Parts: sequence; structure tokens; C-alpha cells
Amino acid sequence: MNQAEFNRRQFIALMGAATAASGFGTMAHAQEALKLWAPGIAKVGAQDWSDMEAQSGVGINAIAKSARADESIQKMVVGDGNALYDAMTDNGGGMEDALASQGAIAELDPSRIPNWGNMLPSYREGGASADTIRYDGKVFAVPYISNADSLAFNYAEIGEELNSWEALFDSQFRGRAAMQNDFGPTLTNTAIYLKQSGKGSIDNPSDMTEDEVRQTAEFLIALKKKGHFRTFWDGVQNGADLLSSEEVLVSSCWEVIQIFAARKNGQDIRYGTMKEGHQSWNNVLMLTRGGQERGMEDAFYSLANVYLSPWFGARTLAGLGFTPQMEGVTEYVDANPEEFDADTRALMLDRLERKQARRMVAGNSWQNVFPTNMRAYQDWWSQVQAA
Amino acid sequence: MTSALSNATGGVTPAKSVPLASRERLAYWAFRAPLIFMVLFFAIPMAMTVVFSVFERTMFWMEPGFTLQAYENFFFSARLTNFLNSMKYSLISVVICFILGFPIAVFVRKSIPLVAQHRVVLLFILPFMVSEIIRVFALRPVLQRNGLLNTTLTNLGIIDEPITALLYTHTGVVIGEVMSFLPFIIFSGFLAMEAVPKFIFEVCDDLGVGPWRRFKDVILPLAAPGIFAGSVFIFVNGLGVALLPNILGGAGAVNAGLIATQAISALDFPLAMAVSAIMMATLMTLLWIGHRLFDLTKILTPLS
Repeated sequence: MNQAEFNRRQFIALMGAATAASGFGTMAHAQEALKLWAPGIAKVGAQDWSDMEAQSGVGINAIAKSARADESIQKMVVGDGNALYDAMTDNGGGMEDALASQGAIAELDPSRIPNWGNMLPSYREGGASADTIRYDGKVFAVPYISNADSLAFNYAEIGEELNSWEALFDSQFRGRAAMQNDFGPTLTNTAIYLKQSGKGSIDNPSDMTEDEVRQTAEFLIALKKKGHFRTFWDGVQNGADLLSSEEVLVSSCWEVIQIFAARKNGQDIRYGTMKEGHQSWNNVLMLTRGGQERGMEDAFYSLANVYLSPWFGARTLAGLGFTPQMEGVTEYVDANPEEFDADTRALMLDRLERKQARRMVAGNSWQNVFPTNMRAYQDWWSQVQAA
Repeated sequence: MTSALSNATGGVTPAKSVPLASRERLAYWAFRAPLIFMVLFFAIPMAMTVVFSVFERTMFWMEPGFTLQAYENFFFSARLTNFLNSMKYSLISVVICFILGFPIAVFVRKSIPLVAQHRVVLLFILPFMVSEIIRVFALRPVLQRNGLLNTTLTNLGIIDEPITALLYTHTGVVIGEVMSFLPFIIFSGFLAMEAVPKFIFEVCDDLGVGPWRRFKDVILPLAAPGIFAGSVFIFVNGLGVALLPNILGGAGAVNAGLIATQAISALDFPLAMAVSAIMMATLMTLLWIGHRLFDLTKILTPLS
């Protein structure tokens, strides 16, 4: 990045910020609130959405959403989602393909997002993550958080660091283990373990063949029948409760669950780096076709601009442990010491280092919410559930 | 004659003031309204459920066709075992609810003054005013490994190790069902006891009939239709409410409602419809058996 490019980017960003802070924001406030279908992890700052509204200059009518991919498909493809929501979030690298292919979401114009230039380079055309926000070469989504999921474990009870998925499936944790109640992450993480440990013949854990899905599901079914899993968790609160109440000692989960579980009773619950690899994912913001038809594009782009701002990135890292999707977060934190005390800054640094360590593991695979053999995933997952 | 009757009723005009033709029209609809209600809210939805269950599944939805794939998926998989298991545990819940709830209904009818009976029953129904999801979630901190129950028992020195069978197991689901559905058996038992005149208790006392024989030979036969209705309600809810196994059940506790929910999660709508149709067939069979055994129309007899 040369100086000229930097200046241009900064200029655009400043212009955008000035626009949002002045008349544009006032106008947007006067508009109808943006009906946003998103989980609670999509907001930072105040308990409600007021800080997000203040930053974006638009009213936000947030409707709670789960992390289940099938729910998005049902609502947006066969349900009334386009009548209900102007914007929505879900996993990138699959969901935007599914929804765009069905005409449920609208193509975006990045030039209307001043912070677009701040976005991590991997999302630019040709980058490693470029496909996760595009369908058919066109931009349909704006990334706002990402991570590489791993194993949370109760260090105080176990007494050692865990660095392999082997622990999750080990008989010493029979009845004290949990995984997510969602075929995407659970089958992918299991497939990563089976592939890297040589226990399964799996080529690509992100996009398995029918036979590979069968192998993975049968492995889980066999464990389930032995009573290995205490339960399969749904949602942040459920996942955190399981760990903090010591119902389970090991759980394949999101980092935010480990953070909440450790914070709840001050227990030493840690998030490991697995040598076999992790399931990587991002979450993206999308404009629904209905939102576009109702003229909510301006409000959408204002919110998208906040999601790509270091203001959001720094807070989602500090509060929820998610990876910021833009550059300039460290600079923002350094420039605003009154917003982040020394402990928080150290915590953020530590999280970034551990994220980097997880990201560097060779066996990482992308969470594909819309794999080629989707039907096989769904059918075998329902057999895991029913076993 | 007419004017005399009007005078006798203090000038209040009885139904005769409604023209005969209107009354006939009302009577016509009074008999047909339940039929229309049943057709609109039961027969048509049920027929649609059965029709959809044989449709062809597509990637996101389903399309018209005829296939028994959904039923094959149900009957030749672990789903059938789970369904039968959930019937077993629902039956256990019914028995526990009956053992705990029916004596309360008898006590209210027998020992509470008539004027206060409905208020007392209301107290047992009040928990229904709280959302079921809140009531069920509230059980978790009580039943979990480090929960209220285990902590109390440990502090009292009754147990050394926490009891882990109370949550994320079938036992947890049964506890949740009893907590959720107990008021149903109390209420239906209370209604059923209307069929048992109060003097019967006195007659039994006078004749020296013991409590067990009084219950077995007198109360149970008279109150059977109401008890059966309450039991069916609990049983069917135990089969169908996915919330309970979802929150309190573990990896292996699955009921019919959860099977249908999981089918919807897998975007397998014909399977979800097939599960619903099977549940409805189960319910109808139970009601038919109950009607043959107890004549369920008697439930409303005391009120008429």
C-alpha cells in the first residue's frame, strides 16, 4: 500500500464518517428503522443497540436470530424473511451463495461503504477469503467478525493444556463432552480430527463427499451410543452454562462461549490451539431483496460502514473475542487509551496472538454452510441426532 | 297465556321474542358450528399434513408427488426407537402426575368447602401463567451438577458425589414433564370428581370402606373419563413438546416433537409432516380406545 493509496482511503473514510456524523445520519434517523435479523454477537457497546445506532446514524430494529443455517434458508427462501427483514447476518462462504442463488439477497455496491477500503486484504478480489463475500464474482456480503473455532476445556479440573481434538473424543471425558447442535461446525471439526489423525479417509473437511460425511457421522453415532456426549449445545448461553456448571469439561465451541463461561464464575476455562486444525468461519452482513425494494439501502450501507470500522473491530475483539475484519484496530486502540485500559489492551493482544497461532495451523478448514453434498450432510446429521 | 308469562317473569321477555325463523336458523348453525370448526381447524390441516408427508422433498422445500420415503425414514431408523422411548417416558410422566396430582384433586373436592374449591384449584393452575420456557429453564440451575439440589444434598451429607442423572437425561425430561403438566391432571381430576357425589365419601365412611377400596371401586370408575382425558393430554404433550428434551434432555433424549423439529432443521419437510401425521394417528387411536372404554362424553356430564 503506497502513501497515495493510504491517503485516498483515509480521505474516503473521513468523508464517510463526516457524512454519517452530520446531515446524513439525521436523515437516516428520521427514516424507518432498519429491520436487522441478527444474533446478539453482532452488536458491541451498550446492552441494547443504541451505540450501534449512534455510530451508524440509523435506527435499528434488531430481531434475534440463531446461528442455525437452516433457519436462514427456511426464512429467506421458503418463508417470509424478505417481508420481515431489511438486513440479516449469517456465515459467509456458503450462505451468501445459497441466498444469492435464490434471489433472496441483493448485490452490494462497495463504493457506498466508505470503510470498504479498511477491510482485511484477504477479502479483496483474488484473496483467500474473497469468495466468502461473493457469489458469481459479485459482492453480496460485508464481513464483520471471524474466528477459528477450537476446544474449550476446564483447566482447573483437567490440570493440563489440551492441544488435540483427541481429548474431545477420549473416553476419559465420557459423559462430560459436548459439541454444537449444528451439522456444519460439528461435522467439520470431527472431519478435521479424523483426517489429521488418520482415522478417516477424508480429503476436504469443508466439502465432503457423501461417503466422507457417512464416515464422520458414523464416528459420532458410535460415540453417542456409548453416552459420550452429555448434550449438544445451542446458543451462547447454553454453551457457556454447560462449561461453567461443569456439566461438561471439554466442549467444541465458539471462543465467545469460553470467554463467557470463564467470566461467569471466574473459573480457569481455556481455549486451546488444536494441532489437527480448526474450523474457520466468518459472519457477514447481507441486504435482503425486500430491504432493497423498501428503499433501506442507505441505512444498510451506514450500518455496514460501522461494521468495517476499527471502532467496531476493537470492541468485538475486547468484549466477545472475535477477530476484527478490518485493518487499523491496533492504531485505533493506541489512539484511544481512555476507551481501553491496560488490562483490556493486554487481553486483546493475547487474543490476537492466540488467534494467529490457530490461524497458522495447517489443517484448518472453512466452515461451509452450503456444501456441495448438502443433502448428505442434512440426512446424516439427522441420523446423528436420532441415534 | 303469553302475556301472563311475561308478567310472571317481571316483564323480562324470554326467548320467544326471537322470531321462530331466526331461532331455527340459530339452531341450524348451533349444530353445524362445531362441525365447521372441526373441519377448518382439524380435518383440513390433518389432511394437508398427510398429503405433504408423501410429497417429494426438494433442496429447500417440497413438490407434489407420491413417495413413502418420509415414512420409510421414520420407521426404518433410530427415529422409531426414539418415538417408542418417548412414549415410554411420557407414560411414566403420566403415572407420576397421576400419583401426585389426583390425590390433590380428591382432597380439594372432599375436604375444601365448596365456595373455596375453585380458588384452591386456581392456585395449582397459576404456574401456567408463567411462560413454559421460563419454567423449564429455571429447572436447570436446580438440577445441574452444581445445582441447588445437588448442593443441598451434599451440604446435608446425604450424597458424596453429585447426582448427574437429573439433567441431560430421560430422567430430566420426565421431571420437566411432571413439573409442566401436573396442573393438567389436577384440573381434569377436579372436573372428574364432579361425577363423584360428596355423600359417597360419607357412605363409604359409614360402611367402613377403606381408602384403597374406596378409591379402586368407587372413585376410579366414576372419575375414569376425566382421568383418562387428563392423562391423554399429558401423554400427548410428553410426545410432542420439543422444548423439554431440548432443554432438559441430553444427547439421547428425543421425543416426537424433537424428531419433527430436527427434520425441519434438515429441511426435510415431508419427514416433519410424516412425524406429525404419526403423532396425530397415535392420539386418535388413544382417544378411540379411551372412548370405547370410558365413554369420554361423560367428561362433560356433570357440567350439563
